[in-house]
Amino acid sequence: MSNLPKFGFFRLIAANLTNRPHRNIATIIAFAIIAATLFSAQYLMSGAQQSLDAGMTRMGADIMVVPAEYNAKAETVILMGEPNTFFFNDSVFDKISKITGIAKASPQIFIATLAGQSCCAGLVQLIAMDPSNDFTVSTWLKENPGVTMGKDDIIVGSKIIGDIGSDIRFYGHTFHVVGRLAQTGMGVDMAVFTRIEDAYVMADESGVKAVQKVTIPRGMVSAVLVKLEPGASRTAVASEIRAKIPETKTITPDGLLGAVTAQLGAVTRLLYGSTLAVTIVSIPLLAFISAMVAHERRREVAILRALGATKTYVVRLMLAESFSISIVGGLIGIGTAAVILVFFQDFIAVILKIPFIIPSPMAIIYDAGTALLLSAGIGGISSLFPAILINSSEPYETIRKGES
Amino acid sequence: MTSDKMGKAIGALLVLLGIVVILTPWIIFPVCEMQGLFLKTASGTNFPMTCGWAARAETGVGALIMVAGGLLIARSTTETRQAVGIFSIAMGALVILLPTVLIGMCKMAEHPCRMTTLPALELLGVIVIIIGGYLVWKRE
Repeated sequence: MSNLPKFGFFRLIAANLTNRPHRNIATIIAFAIIAATLFSAQYLMSGAQQSLDAGMTRMGADIMVVPAEYNAKAETVILMGEPNTFFFNDSVFDKISKITGIAKASPQIFIATLAGQSCCAGLVQLIAMDPSNDFTVSTWLKENPGVTMGKDDIIVGSKIIGDIGSDIRFYGHTFHVVGRLAQTGMGVDMAVFTRIEDAYVMADESGVKAVQKVTIPRGMVSAVLVKLEPGASRTAVASEIRAKIPETKTITPDGLLGAVTAQLGAVTRLLYGSTLAVTIVSIPLLAFISAMVAHERRREVAILRALGATKTYVVRLMLAESFSISIVGGLIGIGTAAVILVFFQDFIAVILKIPFIIPSPMAIIYDAGTALLLSAGIGGISSLFPAILINSSEPYETIRKGES
Repeated sequence: MTSDKMGKAIGALLVLLGIVVILTPWIIFPVCEMQGLFLKTASGTNFPMTCGWAARAETGVGALIMVAGGLLIARSTTETRQAVGIFSIAMGALVILLPTVLIGMCKMAEHPCRMTTLPALELLGVIVIIIGGYLVWKRE
């Protein structure tokens, strides 16, 4: 007798689950699909949101003022780093500086480089700025922090190839890398920052040195970054800028978030819709499977009851089995989705045209927890009715009839 | 499932994975040269980029994974499973190391080889290592 395995609640659950491998694997796959779709949708949203937060925080600007007709292009420069060249008169900069509530303003000139530069496969956004007036770039240097830009010095985004101290040529002009920015997942990762006076020299020389001449008109800028005084309202100042300088548009972090949400909308709607559809279909389907299992196990349950198991014990047993399957399925689904999303994150960001970084561990735990909770909830709901049903039959009658 | 049947099933899976490793850099998630990106010399000759050489090496490794799988299908004894298991772990590691350390991929993050081929090969390498580990662990 001492060699007999110990009879216990968890041993019984494990034995019941391993005795029906094929059916349980099918159920586990259903739960895995539910958890994977929900987790993917939440993960993408968290990644985009955090990338945007990081990008905007590091940008240091509360408002970006751009020419009205290039508002959409400026947004793609910030979000995706799609290079563009556009200008407005720099008298705008003086007007902006005089508006109340503005602590600092910094002009920038955007120049799209030629393709096939040594640092990069495609076009790069060259951003010319005034280092003495800058409050955005130098503050978030990852490599060589505290460096000041001298003649022909450049600070590069995290995805630009070239070590500190190396040279990169744009439009035939040689620049010297002195700093590298931290990764944001946004367009600034593919940008190169130079001084305005060096950009003018590069443009002047480009007619001779480059295959294509670039023109940067004097007295023109592409954007003005604005830092507000403490307590100043971002919305109010942005409205005042637009009212006083009608030829401009203002870009704020909230506005960019709206643009990203709209871009992500179709994908997240598809993923959330799939989760909802799979959930709606799976609850009756899983309930039906649970009812079938319950019917098959009537005699087994009757014997358990005859051996002294209470009705509550039987309900707990069936719910625990269902929860185990749903949690195993949920974990497999979340794990698989996480691996694919992490491995292919660059590809996903490019395809969806969204800024994206891997979300923080807390956000991932929250997303995975929600998906797991939904799986467990569906598992519990679908097995509750069959568990109650099986308990309603009399053990003696069931055994006597010889039903299996 | 008997251990013999299980061994044959894992062998078939390894053959399939070997085929996928071969096809990934050329067809499933093609490297740069399959999308018309080459290194051009001054004389105008096109050379494969770094990822092209990694892809060629992966073809060889994929073929070896297929051979290992075939061996398991032909003779699924405990000793064969153990040997194929160790071999698969080494091959899986090579699938990952070739495009990351030994040969590498293009440096530019936006190149197709970096965005799709590399993660796909890393994922396949991990799967091959897990299967190899299972074969080594499952002694009976």
